[in-house]
Amino acid sequence: MNEDNKITDKKVIETEITMGTVHSAAIEPYRVRLFVEDEIVRDAEITIGINHRGIERIMEGLPVEKANSLTEKICGICSNSHIWNSVLVAEKAIGIDVPERAQYIRVIMEELERLHSHMLYLAHGSEVLGHETFAMRVFYIRETVMELLRMIGGNRVQYGVSIIGGIRPRCELDEMRIQKIREGMDIIDEKILEFADRFVSDPMIMARVTGVGILSQKQAIELAATGPTLRSTGVELDLRREMEAYDPFEFDIITQDDGDVKSNLLCRVLEIPEATKIIRQALDHLPDGKITNRSWEMQDAPITKSYIEVPRGKLYHSYSLEDGRVRNSIVRTPSITNIGAMQYAAVGHHITDAQLAIVQCDPCFTCTDRAIQIIKI
Amino acid sequence: MSLKSYSRARAIHVMLVYTGGCNGCDIEIVNCIFSPKYDAEQYKVFLTWNPREADILVVTGPVTKHNEKPLIEIYNAIPEPKAVIAAGACALMGGVYKNIHGDIPSEEIAGPVDKIIPVDAKVPGCAVRPEDILSGVVAALPLLLNAK
Repeated sequence: MNEDNKITDKKVIETEITMGTVHSAAIEPYRVRLFVEDEIVRDAEITIGINHRGIERIMEGLPVEKANSLTEKICGICSNSHIWNSVLVAEKAIGIDVPERAQYIRVIMEELERLHSHMLYLAHGSEVLGHETFAMRVFYIRETVMELLRMIGGNRVQYGVSIIGGIRPRCELDEMRIQKIREGMDIIDEKILEFADRFVSDPMIMARVTGVGILSQKQAIELAATGPTLRSTGVELDLRREMEAYDPFEFDIITQDDGDVKSNLLCRVLEIPEATKIIRQALDHLPDGKITNRSWEMQDAPITKSYIEVPRGKLYHSYSLEDGRVRNSIVRTPSITNIGAMQYAAVGHHITDAQLAIVQCDPCFTCTDRAIQIIKI
Repeated sequence: MSLKSYSRARAIHVMLVYTGGCNGCDIEIVNCIFSPKYDAEQYKVFLTWNPREADILVVTGPVTKHNEKPLIEIYNAIPEPKAVIAAGACALMGGVYKNIHGDIPSEEIAGPVDKIIPVDAKVPGCAVRPEDILSGVVAALPLLLNAK
């Protein structure tokens, strides 16, 4: 339906509404141009690049340990995903075996991060809907996860857990910590079900989100949307099925059918119990042994790639090693394709739903701004 | 007592500006005001996105080149008296994005914040903790309340 509405010649439409770069409706700076006809959005254009800090350039030539901890500063929401993937590249390039206990603890951290990222999405979504009470409720549940993250990593946001060959000694899980994580998971499971019940049974919210911002399955595949944005259109694709670290765990891939804001919200709500399920399995079968493998030697390596599934989709890191230093570093975050897809999701809907349609993919502009456009003069 | 100072003694409005950090500080600040655990709203501190309503400007991030001009415009739009809080390591000294070069000038970063607009209170941390934000806001209060 959306393809017919999309116009190619922007000059035909005279009314243009521009938001940004700094706008009160958007927390992060980005620029949206909406081409409007009779209050219906006919075309949308999202411009990124305002936050560009050139972090790949800074990584160039740094020692690999330092570069790994720098990748954590790409994003404050999915910081663990970045450092994990960056460390995986080095481990793959040099050929380091990671102890099984360290793998399990990395998975536990990643799933805790998925919990807090999805809850942040629900809170932000509720705020954009205009329902601040729901946002406060979700922030209250999220605080449980933040306390667990602080207990394990020592910091609420940037908790560098992974190092090359294993995890930091501080992040070792003992009996007391395991007990606390179990208690936290019980609280989250109970509270999130209660929240989901309230959310789904609220007729006003359901009327606001159903059928808004539809992205068809064909479009989502063509535009290479990833993560829950793709799964909410009915495609069963999750990179965790193919990752070595997730082999021992049983979990379901959540899919929804409609591709609208409701499907996106429900997909993430239902992924929260799956994440707690994985954490419980990891705690039950946590293997004994050491947490870091220190018997490895630095060596040169060609460009090595690594893909992992993070809360927002597929994350890509690659670099080559030269004298223990990082060269040719490339980072590709999931938001870049998801934001591109959202230009199509906003089309054909009312102008008041445009902001909601854009934030439905959980956009993270600070992750995204690393592409450099080379202009020919 | 003017009408404005009367109303201000009962409600402080904080505006958050994001200038290219990693999002960690921003979420902690929103968390500090919205989350029922910290709940700055009980002390009559409110979050606003409109510079003309704001009393305190909280700036996070190292101020990228593209964000320099909007930041100055936002600062000028806030009515006097006003206070500026720089929150987080990036806003204080450019963080990893600037200082990792040493003294070599960065092509992407225009900051830190106090190079661009005057800063009244500084809150350290990577990322800032919600408790520290509250104490930073409290440190800036005399500037607002004692102003004529």
